[in-house]
Amino acid sequence: MRKFPLGLASCVAVLAIWQIVSGMKWVNPALLPPPSRVGPAVWDILTTGSIIDPLKQTLSLLAAGYCIGCVLAIGLGLAMGINRHVYNMFEPIVELLRPLPKPALVPPLFLFLGIGIATKITIVALAAFFPVLINTVQGVRSVDPVLLNTARTFRRSMPATMIYVILPAALPMIVTGMRVSLGLSLTLVILAEMLVGSTGIGFLILDMQRSFAVTDMLAWVFILGVIGVVLNGAFETLERMSLHWRSK
Amino acid sequence: MLRPVHRDASVPEPASEAQTILSVQDLCHGFTVNGKAVPVFQGVSLDIAQGEFLGVLGPSGCGKSTLLQIIAGLLPSVSGRVMFEGHPIVAPPEDMVYLFQQYNKSLLPWRSTKANVGFALEGRGLSRQEKNERCLEYLRIVGLADFADHFPWQLSGGMQQRVAIARALAANPKVLLMDEPFSAVDALTRLELQTLVLDVWAKSKLTIVMVTHDVDEAVFMADRIAMLGERPSSVATVVETGLPRPRDPISTRELPRFLKLRHSLLNMLLKRPNEDSPQRPPQDFGHA
Repeated sequence: MRKFPLGLASCVAVLAIWQIVSGMKWVNPALLPPPSRVGPAVWDILTTGSIIDPLKQTLSLLAAGYCIGCVLAIGLGLAMGINRHVYNMFEPIVELLRPLPKPALVPPLFLFLGIGIATKITIVALAAFFPVLINTVQGVRSVDPVLLNTARTFRRSMPATMIYVILPAALPMIVTGMRVSLGLSLTLVILAEMLVGSTGIGFLILDMQRSFAVTDMLAWVFILGVIGVVLNGAFETLERMSLHWRSK
Repeated sequence: MLRPVHRDASVPEPASEAQTILSVQDLCHGFTVNGKAVPVFQGVSLDIAQGEFLGVLGPSGCGKSTLLQIIAGLLPSVSGRVMFEGHPIVAPPEDMVYLFQQYNKSLLPWRSTKANVGFALEGRGLSRQEKNERCLEYLRIVGLADFADHFPWQLSGGMQQRVAIARALAANPKVLLMDEPFSAVDALTRLELQTLVLDVWAKSKLTIVMVTHDVDEAVFMADRIAMLGERPSSVATVVETGLPRPRDPISTRELPRFLKLRHSLLNMLLKRPNEDSPQRPPQDFGHA
């Protein structure tokens, strides 16, 4: 609790420095408007309702891509973690694609999926996919053999062992991967909107930069930052709820 | 449910008169290191009678736990077989449960105490209410009725092993295999758990095979003790403890017979000359 006022103080300090640097015209205020102008712009966006459409666009794209990526990754991850043959089959291709910066895949995807929603969702799903996959495989493989033997001595079926033992045991690792993926997905959503979009927050930020609406551009960047914080907070709450059994 | 029987409290029934429930036949196990076969045990044969409490003792590394896991159907054997009620064991059979030494790894940490016991009852077509009642019944037996909604991390080590015992009993097995079940709890808790298991066993038809490295524990609890030798090990000797039941954690340990058995078994484990022991334990297995 003690950390919070200190953190708040550093935020205020940054805003103050920004205000001084811009207000004293140490940098061109046309390029860096002070917070005293960006603030009202944020307020305008929130109160006039002009936030609703771009926010809906961006979040629905994020939700679609992220969910598809996570579901596929957990599915394949469970299979790879349990079955050695599946692991051997997919491991090389995963290791090939995983380190690849996902934005590099956007141009080739244009060729196959066109410049549209399919490409955007695919790229976001790809960004979410790998961290969740790697952590799921790791999580499944690190389930204690004693736990698996416990399931065997009580003669639980393979599906029951999967649902009641392996998945919950691997869940902390999976959730950690999902948290990493969430940040990556948001990054790729914004990038995809900038490259492919005609809507969404990413598109707006780029569009305003091109039309030199610097104040509004910064206002949207600020809003995007807040969205990141809120998403992370929501995720942490979800994590605490789903892993409530962990001590402290 | 526990199967109630009338067990003669004072005289243990001779193994030879009871029916053999488990038969270990010429079991071998080993592994290969750099292409060389390293035997762990060779030609282990044992008959275990219905309702018997058998202790398995041996020096560390002799493969006691491996033997128990093969009996449980958790590990395949290299050669030989284990017959359970006349059928060879190839996978964990019904009516047999393995109790792990590492209770903290064997309990599901995301489940409450009650739900952990319930793990043994799921997939058996019981109604929710039946399951609930049986979970609570077995928690009562191990003295944890008040901790039904606690999670494992909120319990002490001894309590966690009690939950594991309750879960094993809830599966209503005919045979309970225990792998050093009390070695990870403190000395006082160990005495309590030993008495608890003996009480439960006395009130049921349960057959128990317990692997332990603790001579004292084996003599105190078992009807018979099978002693494994050095690697590659086989059954070196089988001893009938012949101590009266019910056994008392204090006075049973003061009986001359208890001390004599403990003495000769420790002598064997420590490989000391046995001349001060009045009678060597019989070399062969009595009732086979």
